[in-house]
Amino acid sequence: MIDWIAEPLSHGTTVRALVEIAILGVISGAVGCWVVLFEVSYSAESLAHGMFPGLVGAALLGVPLLLGGAIGIILAALLIATISRFSGDEADTAIAVVVTTLFGLGVLMALSPESPPGIQSLLFGDLLGVGDSQLAASAAIGIVVLGILWLFHDRLLAIGFQRDAGPSFGIRPGFITALLLALVALTVLVGVQGLGNLLVAAILVGPAAAARLVSRRIGPMMLTAVLIAVIAGVAGIYASYYLRTAAGASVVVALLACYLLAAAAAAIPVKSRVTAVRISS
Amino acid sequence: MLDTFSLPFVQEGLIEILLLSIPAGLIGSWIVLRGFAFHSHAIGTASFPGLVLADGIGFSAALGAFGAAGVFTLLSALLARSKQTAADSVTALALVACLATGVILASDVFNSGANVDTLLFGSLLAIDSSDIWLAAAAAVLAVLTTLLFGHHWLAKGFDEDSAGRLRSGSALFDTALLTVVAVTVVASLSAVGALLISALMVVPAATVRLFAHRLPILQLVTIALVVVEGTFGLWLSVETNAPPGATIAVVSGAVFALAFGARALGQRSGVRPLAVATALLALTGLAAGCSNQSTGGDGPKVVATTTQASDFVSEVGGDRVNLTGILQPNTDPHGYEPRPSDVMAVADASLIVRSGGHLDDWTEDLIRDSGSNAKVVDLSRDLPVKLHGGDDHAEVHGGKHESDAEDFDPHWWQDPLNVQAAAAEIVTGLTGVAPENASFYRGREHRFNVQIDRLSKGIKNCLKRIPANDRKIVTDHDAFGYFTSRFRIKTVGTVIPALTTEAQPSAGDLADLEETIRREGVKAVFPESSVSPALARAVARDTGASTDYSLYGDTLGPSGSEDATWLGSMKANADAIVRGMSGGRFGCFEVSDG
Repeated sequence: MIDWIAEPLSHGTTVRALVEIAILGVISGAVGCWVVLFEVSYSAESLAHGMFPGLVGAALLGVPLLLGGAIGIILAALLIATISRFSGDEADTAIAVVVTTLFGLGVLMALSPESPPGIQSLLFGDLLGVGDSQLAASAAIGIVVLGILWLFHDRLLAIGFQRDAGPSFGIRPGFITALLLALVALTVLVGVQGLGNLLVAAILVGPAAAARLVSRRIGPMMLTAVLIAVIAGVAGIYASYYLRTAAGASVVVALLACYLLAAAAAAIPVKSRVTAVRISS
Repeated sequence: MLDTFSLPFVQEGLIEILLLSIPAGLIGSWIVLRGFAFHSHAIGTASFPGLVLADGIGFSAALGAFGAAGVFTLLSALLARSKQTAADSVTALALVACLATGVILASDVFNSGANVDTLLFGSLLAIDSSDIWLAAAAAVLAVLTTLLFGHHWLAKGFDEDSAGRLRSGSALFDTALLTVVAVTVVASLSAVGALLISALMVVPAATVRLFAHRLPILQLVTIALVVVEGTFGLWLSVETNAPPGATIAVVSGAVFALAFGARALGQRSGVRPLAVATALLALTGLAAGCSNQSTGGDGPKVVATTTQASDFVSEVGGDRVNLTGILQPNTDPHGYEPRPSDVMAVADASLIVRSGGHLDDWTEDLIRDSGSNAKVVDLSRDLPVKLHGGDDHAEVHGGKHESDAEDFDPHWWQDPLNVQAAAAEIVTGLTGVAPENASFYRGREHRFNVQIDRLSKGIKNCLKRIPANDRKIVTDHDAFGYFTSRFRIKTVGTVIPALTTEAQPSAGDLADLEETIRREGVKAVFPESSVSPALARAVARDTGASTDYSLYGDTLGPSGSEDATWLGSMKANADAIVRGMSGGRFGCFEVSDG
């Protein structure tokens, strides 16, 4: 059994993938709870496309790609917040407008002969190709995101559970929503770097949605989500090691399995669960 | 402006856009009112596994997309039953489940997915009659359902309370709405692709929604806006030689920004639209700087698909051929999207030279779309050496295994013998369209053959300096089978486990590869010039192998450099491989370092 666990750890690519997924699991488990409470899953899924023009622009200007991607994705988040605030429509529509336009712009910019080959693949990333500098960047962004979450915890909580209550506490809901979208943007940036935009939505939404099913209060919910994200991420990489399935997709399957388990657990009425415990004790 | 629309392929694109404007207006308005933007985006993207399956088993892509859309809708309906998870989370989870299935199918079941991304991205320049029928069906369905169910949806869209009173049938109406959304999205896939579907389905309706407050007005004005944006975008893309889908997305985004700004400022001046239109033109002009170039030679008009095919034609044809190459150097041919100038060049050509196999299987679409009746030379058809796709690299002899035609490794130009055969094919093709130049072409072919012989000998001599036991390499994807089997080099493994660059490796495969590299003492892993080197670097980091030498696999080097010709790129590859295998001690042909 110990051999079984230790064997993958003798390979550098697998170890780095495990560390990356653990870092990402902690960040996105925590941010994901707010994504689920504020119902901004669409942003989590689509923001990655919005950073395309930023990436191409950075490549053309010769500045680091991560910087360009960060500027592009945060700009996209702020545009979404602005449009959804002033147009009065669902945030969904604003996201569709912003992301589609930015992605189209990125495609046009990438036609320039100076744009480097394979820039599109930066949008998709690969879990097993993560390098040490990427791990360091992920950890640094993670610390920033968790710090901001901690600072604004009460205000996020006030708006998240009761959207109308904000003004009476002197909190501006528009600002808090924009802040959350920026945090989602940073998390997506970390995720896309190593894992591709496919996995980002899974790890941001899956664990938090599962945690929401089994816990009512925000503290336990965040803890559960982080645990689920990290455990499912690690399990997915072990599956990819032993079953030889594509790494990113395996993690997604593990995350979805956790959600389905939580849904099944939540579907059993509380009363019968209590009875079951009594009988067994 | 009217000139542009007299081109047949532009007319087909225009018909497609006009047909799609009807569902985009009628149903797009509902998508915006009901907040279904995420759902409609997701249903398009979720078609991925259906497309992989259709490609792998071999049935129609539209059918695959419909199937996947059906599974996605069912999955979100099932997950939504618990009612404890918000609708948007459910959509995200169902989408991710579909995507993960697609990646696993592409990487672990079919080891392919070659045609998938052209379908995910779509193009108005590659519309065929079945796409137009599908769009027409979506239009009819949209009109019918709007007439039948429109007032029920209205009750729910604007006022959830009154919808409650209509509850009896509301699930049925919702199902009808979601079905029409699915049909419309699948019909638009081939036009704009999954990632830009909102450019038709959401953005125009959202723009009109800023001003319109009554549903019929919203729907009709949206139809008109899609027609205007689509026609303008298509025209602009042809004029500036940009991909039409992205152009339409940027045009509709700019119109939205304009409308949004006008509403926010509470004014509607006429100057502003003009300013935005100018900015738009400038922006797309930026993208147009990189049109493919014709050599302007004196002779028959020839189009070549890949960079290698292009080079062979110019070696043989010299200045007595007017050559247009479609793929640009250093781009990955697996992710090609046709541009207007490509279709026009094909329409004008009297001879089309293609490399063959899945690398340029979009050629057929281009030829059909342009209405061209040029002669087509498929260089891969009668090669002296043909290898199977996949790991075994068993040899197939040209022409004998017709049933395996689809299954061969398309990187045949890595073997010099094949290139000599291809040159002969090109001479036959060129002579067919310009018999007066026959002796000129034959003379150049002879000269080229001498150069190829000298190259082969040079590579062989150079490789002699490497002990037989050290002739082992690891490449990025499986593009060098012909080279290694010709020059007796052992390919110990590849980082991406397939012939295409789109599959994803597993942790176990990479661990095995690292093991093999250590055991066999492989000194270098060779990334490819057109593929992101992250994975190759990760493997090299662990094993201590070097990744300093990259190879030209699917494409030749950047234009202007010595590696822009096939001869140059073969020399560079041989030099890189020998340097890699000798630990950097020596190379071939005295090519400069770096």
